[in-house]
Amino acid sequence: MAKEYLTFVRRFSDLNEGERELFIKDLTPGPRKYDTKLVRAIIARSPESLGVDADLLWVRSETGVLDPKPWGIKILEELPPYVSGRPWSDIFEVMKKKVS
Amino acid sequence: MAFRDLREFLAVLERTGDLIRIKTEVDWDIEAGAISRRVFEEKGPCLWFEKIKDYPEGFTLLNGPLGTWRRVAIALGLDPETPVREIYREYERRVERRIKPRIVDPSEAPCKENILLGEDVDLYILPAPMIHEGDGGRYIGTWDIVICEDPERGWTNWGMYRFMVHNKNFLAGWPQATSHLAMIMKERYLPWNKPMPVALVIGAEPLCHMAATAPVPPGENEAEVAGGLRGEPVDLVKCETCDLFVPAHAEIVIEGEILPDIIVPDGPFGEYPGYRSGTMGEGVAFRVKAITFRNNPILTMTALGVPPDDSSIAASLTAAIAMKKGLQRRGVPVTDVYVPPEGVTHLVIVGVKEGGQKVVRRVLEFFTARRVMVNKVIVVDKDVDVFDMGQVLHAFATKCHPGRGMLVDYHEGRGNALTPCYSAEERRRLKGAFVAFDATWPDDWPQELIPVKASFRDIYSPSIQEKVLSRWSEYGLEKFSSKGGD
Repeated sequence: MAKEYLTFVRRFSDLNEGERELFIKDLTPGPRKYDTKLVRAIIARSPESLGVDADLLWVRSETGVLDPKPWGIKILEELPPYVSGRPWSDIFEVMKKKVS
Repeated sequence: MAFRDLREFLAVLERTGDLIRIKTEVDWDIEAGAISRRVFEEKGPCLWFEKIKDYPEGFTLLNGPLGTWRRVAIALGLDPETPVREIYREYERRVERRIKPRIVDPSEAPCKENILLGEDVDLYILPAPMIHEGDGGRYIGTWDIVICEDPERGWTNWGMYRFMVHNKNFLAGWPQATSHLAMIMKERYLPWNKPMPVALVIGAEPLCHMAATAPVPPGENEAEVAGGLRGEPVDLVKCETCDLFVPAHAEIVIEGEILPDIIVPDGPFGEYPGYRSGTMGEGVAFRVKAITFRNNPILTMTALGVPPDDSSIAASLTAAIAMKKGLQRRGVPVTDVYVPPEGVTHLVIVGVKEGGQKVVRRVLEFFTARRVMVNKVIVVDKDVDVFDMGQVLHAFATKCHPGRGMLVDYHEGRGNALTPCYSAEERRRLKGAFVAFDATWPDDWPQELIPVKASFRDIYSPSIQEKVLSRWSEYGLEKFSSKGGD
């Protein structure tokens, strides 16, 4: 059965398909629900396009609004659960620079 | 006499009918938050959730210890029915006092009954609530005290900042970039790339939390302010992993450090202005090194949002008195300051002995001198009771000139990122504006031309007032006497 995760973006349009690093929250019920991981993963707008073993990725905006349609996600690698950066930096900008 | 700890306070709240224990199982995931929010909006009691889904017996959640004026009065040792104005007076009197804390041995500190260190640290043993649907995580630090130290000035700062669980041994938090914590981190730790020791305290005696919300000037220790409010010292005990001292009777203490070179995502969160307005991903990473807690720990929370709640009630008191003192220091002839809970510290009412634009300008200069957390102030003359919003609204409607009655200041890098009307870009740049509404008569208007207020107290001579009041019962109007006679 597909696992479910959650990620946050500033705008829904910020999220693009393909391979990327992103913070995700594990939505598995229980006392560890919402545990945060940094992963390298392939994501796609349509979960079906990643095959039957894809997991679901729910997306919320910076005001917490939920995109009603989940994305698909395939986790390739779990990374240390943080990124290098100065406190109060914009973590999305830091992540963007990390990729480029 | 002060309450020794949260538990003594809760016992009194229970006796006065200001606390309800919820014995049925409640989910930490959204349900406890939703119940709490609804009860805040109904101006209901403090809630103690005794059975939390996924957690063993004894691990409980408590919402809203100071969410009503009654509970604030009880925390101060006053009659629960004490009027707001008198609560203000009592707080104003006590906040001037400083009483140094008492250092106790760990054996006398209930917060050391359980100690988790190193690999044993696991934040998931605590029932941190997911408060609002759509929040960025489980906010374990909402009604908290976050303690850090400026080693050069010997200044220990207590503040109340949001922190959420990131994973088993990391918290993500968002003390505003203009906060005292941020100031200390930026001045004393970041230049040397050093982690800053921090302790996050949950469930201390309520006046300690009130002191943490108080805008105390940099360099002053809130532990001494808390002692002053209590009328006796706060018992402090040394942390397990650093040299900070924390309230010994607290329910839970999370020790760790804010890292200078690592970040994790924080937010968003439904915040004290009553909105989840998009502050996210610009916080700090707090690596947890120890968790200490009492047996049967009570995790305090506040399901922040539309007023009233702990923030809009208690923090409005602490903010108002700090503003009054600040205005007095600047020579503003202030009579009183009121922060109406509905204004969520964005709107403030300032009463002055003499009005006019020069005075209003000085009010504006005070509010915009450093970080600008308030964005609207209504300045009223001394005939207006600042605690009576009906009078304030009347003065604003009639005395504030729609053209020249507004003094506006624009700023950048100092604004309040939680101001919902600011755009996303403005919030990120801490860019904003402040407006002082001048609802006072101009100081250059001749006395004989100032409109006469058509109220019983102002438009009739004392002899007529006396005559009417003395015959009030004769008219058969006894039941309406409260307004005319006071």
